[in-house]
Amino acid sequence: MSRGKLEQTLGEGKFAVTAEVGPPRGANAEVILKKAALLKGCVDAVNVTDNQTAIVRMSSISACAHLVQLGMEPVMQMVTRDRNRIALQSDIMGAYSLGIRNMLCLSGDHQTFGSEPGAMNVHDIDSVHLIHTVKTMRDEGRDMSGYELNVAPRMFIGAAENPFADPFEYRVIRLAKKVAAGVDFIQTQCVYDMARFKEWMKQARDRGLTEKVYILAGVTPLKSARMAKYMAAKVAGITIPEQMITRMEGVAKEHAAAEGIKICLETIQELREIPGLSGIHIMAIEWEEKVAEIVKAAGLFPRP
Amino acid sequence: MIVGEQKPLEEIKAKVSGYSRILILGCGTCVKTCFAGGEDEVATLASALRLSFKLEGRTIQIEEQTVERQCEDEFIKEAATNIAEVKAVVSLACGAGVQMVASRFPQVTLLPGVNTTFIGILEKAGLFTEKCLGCGNCIVDLFGGICPIGRCAKRLFHGPCGGSSKGKCEVNPDTDCAWQLIVDHAAATGQLDKLAEYVPPKDWRTSQAGGPRKVHREDHEI
Amino acid sequence: MVMEKVHRMSNKGGAAHTRKPRITVFHCFTALEDTASLEGGDYEIQGIKMPCSSISREVFLLRAFEAGADAVVVLVCPVNSCRYVQGNIRTEKRVTRVKKILDEIGIGGHRLNMFNIVQGDEAAARRIIEQTVAELGEWGLSAAA
Repeated sequence: MSRGKLEQTLGEGKFAVTAEVGPPRGANAEVILKKAALLKGCVDAVNVTDNQTAIVRMSSISACAHLVQLGMEPVMQMVTRDRNRIALQSDIMGAYSLGIRNMLCLSGDHQTFGSEPGAMNVHDIDSVHLIHTVKTMRDEGRDMSGYELNVAPRMFIGAAENPFADPFEYRVIRLAKKVAAGVDFIQTQCVYDMARFKEWMKQARDRGLTEKVYILAGVTPLKSARMAKYMAAKVAGITIPEQMITRMEGVAKEHAAAEGIKICLETIQELREIPGLSGIHIMAIEWEEKVAEIVKAAGLFPRP
Repeated sequence: MIVGEQKPLEEIKAKVSGYSRILILGCGTCVKTCFAGGEDEVATLASALRLSFKLEGRTIQIEEQTVERQCEDEFIKEAATNIAEVKAVVSLACGAGVQMVASRFPQVTLLPGVNTTFIGILEKAGLFTEKCLGCGNCIVDLFGGICPIGRCAKRLFHGPCGGSSKGKCEVNPDTDCAWQLIVDHAAATGQLDKLAEYVPPKDWRTSQAGGPRKVHREDHEI
Repeated sequence: MVMEKVHRMSNKGGAAHTRKPRITVFHCFTALEDTASLEGGDYEIQGIKMPCSSISREVFLLRAFEAGADAVVVLVCPVNSCRYVQGNIRTEKRVTRVKKILDEIGIGGHRLNMFNIVQGDEAAARRIIEQTVAELGEWGLSAAA
């Protein structure tokens, strides 16, 4: 089987760009196709979230299949919150059969934050176990039980890391753990706190991890000062420096979005200079139309 | 110990409202220690119910009794005389005690008056916290004596997740992040690198996932 | 002892149609030596003397209402003056909890109140009783009495 475009781009040492779309709260595939069309040609692969923030949505696997039909390359996100090892492995095989070549192994946002706060979570295995499982399936052609698979799903394996969550001293050890479990690429939480991100990258380099895993830094353009303040205060694991909030507050409301894009572009330029960083992951939440603009303005267009 | 919480008065009142005579049966072990179902709680509940019905112009006869442990036949048989007099028993024991009473006295309607909450400890006066999920195969040695199965909202073996903030869990911000505690302990004892090791997926057969469990001690069988 | 007294109260007969308001006073004997000094008004006082106010368990306070009290007053020593160190603090927590139960039942937590009084200040105790009697004029007698 041919490798996916993301694996190829990264393998050739080129700076990769990925973006993200969230499936709709309903059965209409048009929504996902419309969002994806905005990203076509300007990113190497598109993450498709798996019931993100624990809100029930169209499944990641089916939305990914729609993208494949559109000729785009999805990164199927998969959380261990909702499925046990039986369902996870089964869906990995099914996803591969549908042409999905990348996946991101996550534990998932806690269900109490979502649309079904009364749901039971599964967490039979965690994200590191999932990485290990996908790697074993791919490289040894066996499932978790050791059974030999007639066709092994050859997934390019991703995971998330959050350099901004606590405890900081452990974050890079956790990255090492994911690398040891077999992860190929990492997409990080959105970078606003550049100093902390650089420190984390340094620790990763010092441990030789950037030689073993591709790291894509997450970026999310701020739409308004309100959004910045909300994220800084309410979203655990996101830090936004005070001066960035002040800067967003300093511009007139109608220019805030443009300022947010400007900050995002400056962030991308700074990120590109960090040794060992392999790409960026643009999470423009319900703002997919801006991704092409960002990629072009950042000088990352056309894509290889 | 098993930690429980008494159900709201209104809920208990609704459950007993169809009866003119009931027994409130307390348990003198775990639920007594956590102030949910010992002798004092039996007396308070009985008095509150009597007053509440009196305000509505009704009378209810309430027997009160507390046995040492409702999860042992040896002790609940002491309640036989009182139970024979009533049609319904409000048990203030944990779920185990409630069921033990229900199976020994099938002729009486068993009404639970306590919600069994968790296996935990008395952290400080007035504060009980969960520590163990009863998975049936203890591995706390891998985590410095802090169990991520019982104490992490996502039961992560390779945590912490991105929701760990300033030592607290995003799910319950007044609860410590178990993984912060695990990392702190490892750092303090110079074992951070031990936490880089891969812990294989758990075999959940020893947990409730394997069906109701039994401990059979033939050496204690008579 | 206290338990027996409360039990005896529980066994009293029903209330007359019109009658004097009945106030049960739980008091530690340091805060107030005896309730005899409070009697003499247009009300009935039932005194429960205790070596420390913290002996008043939740159920005793409730049983006072079962026994016919229209209001319950708990007299404790001032903060930091309890001879058992935390007795009055424990009593306060218990009173708070029983107030909540009384609210849930519909009797109303306002019928139960705790006051800190200095040892020997009988005038203060008397004012508390007078104040309670005045408030009972507003609230009316307890429907559960």
